[in-house]
Amino acid sequence: MTHQDSGSGSTPGTQQEARRKVALVANCLLNQNAKVCQGAHYAGAVTPVVELLRERGYRLQQLPCPELAFAGVRRWWAVYEQYDTPAYRTHCRRLAQAIAPLIEQYLRAGDEVILIGLDGSPSTGVRFTSSNPDWGGRPNRPQDDWQIVPGRGIWIEELEAELARRGLPPVPATGWGLDMGRFDKAGARRDLENFLNERPGPAGTDGEGSSRS
Amino acid sequence: MSSDARGWRIALIPDALINPPARADAVLPDVLLVLEASGYGVLQLPPPGEYGPLLAVIADQVAEYAHHGYAVVAVGVRGSSADGLHWRRLAPLLRKRGMALPPRHLIRTDLGAAAEQQRLARFLSDYDLPAEEQRHWRV
Repeated sequence: MTHQDSGSGSTPGTQQEARRKVALVANCLLNQNAKVCQGAHYAGAVTPVVELLRERGYRLQQLPCPELAFAGVRRWWAVYEQYDTPAYRTHCRRLAQAIAPLIEQYLRAGDEVILIGLDGSPSTGVRFTSSNPDWGGRPNRPQDDWQIVPGRGIWIEELEAELARRGLPPVPATGWGLDMGRFDKAGARRDLENFLNERPGPAGTDGEGSSRS
Repeated sequence: MSSDARGWRIALIPDALINPPARADAVLPDVLLVLEASGYGVLQLPPPGEYGPLLAVIADQVAEYAHHGYAVVAVGVRGSSADGLHWRRLAPLLRKRGMALPPRHLIRTDLGAAAEQQRLARFLSDYDLPAEEQRHWRV
C-alpha cells in the first residue's frame, strides 16, 4: 500500500487545491474497538474498506461513534427502535454539529464527498438497519431474532439532517455490510466496488487545474 | 457470532498521517499500514483549524476507552503545528475527563520513512496496559 492521497494535508477547502475525493467513514471502519461486544471482525481498521478507498485516491474522514459516546463500550446490543429516543437523537445532533463544519468545508470547496456507513447498524446503517419493536427489558433475547430492514440508522438520519440544515447537497452514501447478521465479506466488497465505480471520474480532471501527482 | 477480534489498543492519529501530502512517501511512514499490522484501531484528529466541539467529542470517546481496559496512545509528527494532535486543546479535555494523558510517539521527518516505520512499529508493539488490568477487562 502506498500513499494515494493527493491533498495538501492543510486545512481543507482552500481555493488553490484541486478537487479532492473525500470518504466519510463510520468510526468502526477505522476502529473495530468501537463495536458492541462480540461485534468486532478485525483488530483495528476494516482493512478491505481502507484499501479500496485508498487505492482510488480517497482521503479518509472518520466520523464519531454515537453509540460508544452515548451508552459506552460495554453497552448491550440494540435495535433501531431502542435508540429512537429524543435523548439519543439530541446526542447524535451534537455529534453531527461537531463534525459538520469539517464536512461543509469539503463540500463548499467542491470536493467529491461520499459516505460509507455500516449496514445493519441501528445507528450507522445506510441501506439497511436492524429492527425489532419487541426488544426491551431484560436482555435475554434469543440469538438473531431481529430483522434487517431497509433504511438509515439514527445517526445517519441525524447527520444527513444536519448537513441539509446547512443547505448542503446530499452526500452519496452506501454501507459496508458488517452488521447484517451473517457477514458476507465478498458481497460487501462487491457492493462497495460497484458504488465506487458509479462515482464520477477521477478528481482533478474537471478543468480546475491540478497540482496532483 | 461468538468471537470478537478487537485488538483493545487504539491510536490517536493526526489527519496529516491518515491523509499524507502527495510525495510524502520518502519522509512519512505508511501509518495506517503499521497500525493495522500492530492491531491498533484509529481515532482520527481533525486537520489544523478550530474544531473545539469535535475535540470534545473525541475526548469523550478516548476517556470511555481508557476507563474500560483499552490501551490508548497518540502518534504525532515532530515539528508540525502542535504535532497534528491539537495537543494543547486535547490534553486539558482528557484531564478533565479524569484520564492520564496517553503516551505520545512523535514521527521525525529527517530520518526517512523506512526507519520511522520501524520505530513506530516498535513503539506500538511495546505498549499495552499492565497484564493485571488486561485480565480484569478483556474477557
